[in-house]
Amino acid sequence: MLLETTDLRIGYGDGEGAMKLAVDGVSLSLDTGQTLGIAGESGCGKSTLARALMAYTRPGSRITGGQVRIDGQDILALPEAGRRAIRGRRIAMVPQNPLSSLTFHMTIGAQIDEILRRHEGLSKAAARARSIELLAATAMPDPAAVHRRYPHELSGGQRQRVVIAAALACRPDILVLDEPTTALDKTTELKVLKLVSDLRDRFGTALIYISHDLNVIARVCERICVMRDGKVVETGATRATFAAPRDAYTRMLLRAVPRTTDPSPVRPGPTPGDTQPVLRVENLNYRYAAGGLALPFLPRRKGVLAVRDLSFDIHAGRTLGLVGESGSGKSTVAAVISGLLPPGGGIVRFCGTPLRAAASRRSADLRRRIQMVFQDPLSSLNPRLSVGRILMRPLRIFFGMNPIEARAEAGRLLERFEMPVAMLDRFPRQLSGGQQQRVALARAFAARPDLIICDEVTSALDVSVQDHVLDLLLSMQAETGTACLFISHDLGVIKRVADHVIVLQNGEVRDAGPTDAVFAAPRHPYTRLLLEAARSVIDTPLSPTPAPEPAPHTDAAPGTNRGDRHA
Amino acid sequence: MYRSISGAVSGAMPKALRQILRTPMTMIGIVLVLAHVIVALCAPWVIPYGPSQLAGMPFEPPGDRFLLGTDVLGRDYLSRLLMGGRITMTVALVGVLIAIVAGAFLGLCAAWFGGLADEIIMRLVDTKVAIPSILLVGVLIPGFGQSVGVLIFVIALVYVAGVIRTVRAQALTILPQSFVAAAVLRGESSLSIMLREFLPNVADLLCVEFAIRMSSAILLVSSLSFLGLGISPPTPDWGLMVSEGVGFIHTDPWLVIYPSIALCTLVVGLNLATEGVANALGLDAARGMVKG
Repeated sequence: MLLETTDLRIGYGDGEGAMKLAVDGVSLSLDTGQTLGIAGESGCGKSTLARALMAYTRPGSRITGGQVRIDGQDILALPEAGRRAIRGRRIAMVPQNPLSSLTFHMTIGAQIDEILRRHEGLSKAAARARSIELLAATAMPDPAAVHRRYPHELSGGQRQRVVIAAALACRPDILVLDEPTTALDKTTELKVLKLVSDLRDRFGTALIYISHDLNVIARVCERICVMRDGKVVETGATRATFAAPRDAYTRMLLRAVPRTTDPSPVRPGPTPGDTQPVLRVENLNYRYAAGGLALPFLPRRKGVLAVRDLSFDIHAGRTLGLVGESGSGKSTVAAVISGLLPPGGGIVRFCGTPLRAAASRRSADLRRRIQMVFQDPLSSLNPRLSVGRILMRPLRIFFGMNPIEARAEAGRLLERFEMPVAMLDRFPRQLSGGQQQRVALARAFAARPDLIICDEVTSALDVSVQDHVLDLLLSMQAETGTACLFISHDLGVIKRVADHVIVLQNGEVRDAGPTDAVFAAPRHPYTRLLLEAARSVIDTPLSPTPAPEPAPHTDAAPGTNRGDRHA
Repeated sequence: MYRSISGAVSGAMPKALRQILRTPMTMIGIVLVLAHVIVALCAPWVIPYGPSQLAGMPFEPPGDRFLLGTDVLGRDYLSRLLMGGRITMTVALVGVLIAIVAGAFLGLCAAWFGGLADEIIMRLVDTKVAIPSILLVGVLIPGFGQSVGVLIFVIALVYVAGVIRTVRAQALTILPQSFVAAAVLRGESSLSIMLREFLPNVADLLCVEFAIRMSSAILLVSSLSFLGLGISPPTPDWGLMVSEGVGFIHTDPWLVIYPSIALCTLVVGLNLATEGVANALGLDAARGMVKG
């Protein structure tokens, strides 16, 4: 067996002597040329496990038991010098964030050359030739030029290629990839995944691929092992496991993955055109000014036309999905409508009245009727204010409630978002990511808005949590008839919540229409590319009669028929 | 506002408190500071003689009547020593409090408004930092006259620039957070955003700033008194006592040593306590020190 762990335990101290186990008795094995996916949600111990495979633990944690054997040799028993000899040559790692794993003051070439000269003892010229070769092997365009560049001059996908090239420098037998594509756009992810598969075929490197994304693992790995709370709950061939998961947790994870093939919500009500839309955007253009008003919340790209000729309507109770990758201009649209940015060219009408000014110049009523929910739930809640004070603020500002009324109403909101009233006195850091985002949603709905703008609201969440948050959003929307502009890079999520969709690329509309129609027959090649990247490969061989499993929460919104979804 | 700060602290407190109680150096610092505060508060009721009363002959040796002997004018040395920290500590406390409040306000304004306001505030800060403190004091005190009021003003002026810089730097890390954007979208006023969204997030920093500046300010006031620019005789004051005793250092060294010990224990105690508490709160006490 090339790599084998037996009963591996890794604990971390909480500073008071007691150890908590982050990895609890994990045994797994990997043979030459095999691929193993390790799946699990945040905090399940998968990254700690990955580091331990290289006989490394983060400060504060240590390996408390078990073995990691490479070709039968227990590397945990080796002295530090022996471990160093193994790292890079036998087993190498590609970490999650490519920018933080490259030194920013050295050229790409210098960083790869250094590995080759140190580990392989190559001469300067030979190292340079080899590293250009390696860069070329990662399908990097113009590898000789990249060799001379600095990390900040490369795109995210290129950086990740560089890190992969560096990991492959000493021809390791095993490559451990820890969420290597999580920070990348979906289309870039697809390219990197293809590269990883190609390299495996070419060099015969065994792969351990760690990801929270089951879809990604399904694309790359023959075998999968699902982790939860430091333990392996299920392991087996990927296809078979996805077709017939044995463990309830695996089933729950699989069911929670939003798919582009799911039915999009069907909403009752007047057909668009009969009534006045809540929001009508006509020929919106936005160019980031060179200089001008400084708004600290948004990236400033000087003089760039971020949005070009965008037009759409959103009717009450409906959801428009805005899809695009980073830099597509989708967040700019949200900022203009919400009033974080002053309007550029074009007309934005809200219930018939043109929106002209930035938020501070709008009437209080207008501010109340347009609410926004942000991407990172922790950043959107003031860490020093209790949940109660966070929720009471809009109630007091917009409805003039006194503290007692506001607190009672805040409690009702919490319950509506399925959290106990006692949570009013908690602080955001004491909440889980999903709870934080539900508080953020509750704060937005506290204003009883006519339009809610959701900017990547579930991107930072685990799939099972995402599922719950989306359920709540959909049911809240059905209850209040609020129109929603839902921005996401995830087509599966868009399919789940949006009845209409617009695909943006570089600020321009590539595709638009009812979600079902656009997804079924994309007109633009870019849409087809996005759909291909998002296509769920885990469904293809699913068994026809999946065992129905009770959902952890049962408030399925009208229009989202859970029974029809693949389980 | 107050409620939210204390609430936030109580949430984070148990762990920080445990760490403080576990660190001996921090506890030593806290005990020293508490002892000084208690002595300063109780001194008027426990001293055997009035601090300015000519109770005996000059340079009487320690004995039954005068526990630590008498000074150059025949005043009871123990009484003067116990009273000697009160004025210094009061001046430092009020001066630093003014510096903290003004510095927090200006620092938050600089970060929140940015642009021209930021430029004006920060260039004034740069100007202040470019002038050595001792020079500033040497010009201001003779200029405005030697009084407790002027002394407090000078202390506030010396320390406000550092507070502005630290608060602004911290506020700039809060600025891009979405909860600030959410407040803007609610239409909150600038003052309300600064008080509700920013201030609670710099509150623990301000506590540490306060403690650091306190120890530095106590030393500064004492130095000024020593140089004759601070507290005027016949008020009992450690700095002044050292300066009065320095001429007799060969014959009666205790006249210098006692007030020096008093001053040292207070300042060292403050530094130990500050560093321990700052560590427990996860802040870097040394960062503020450098900017003085």
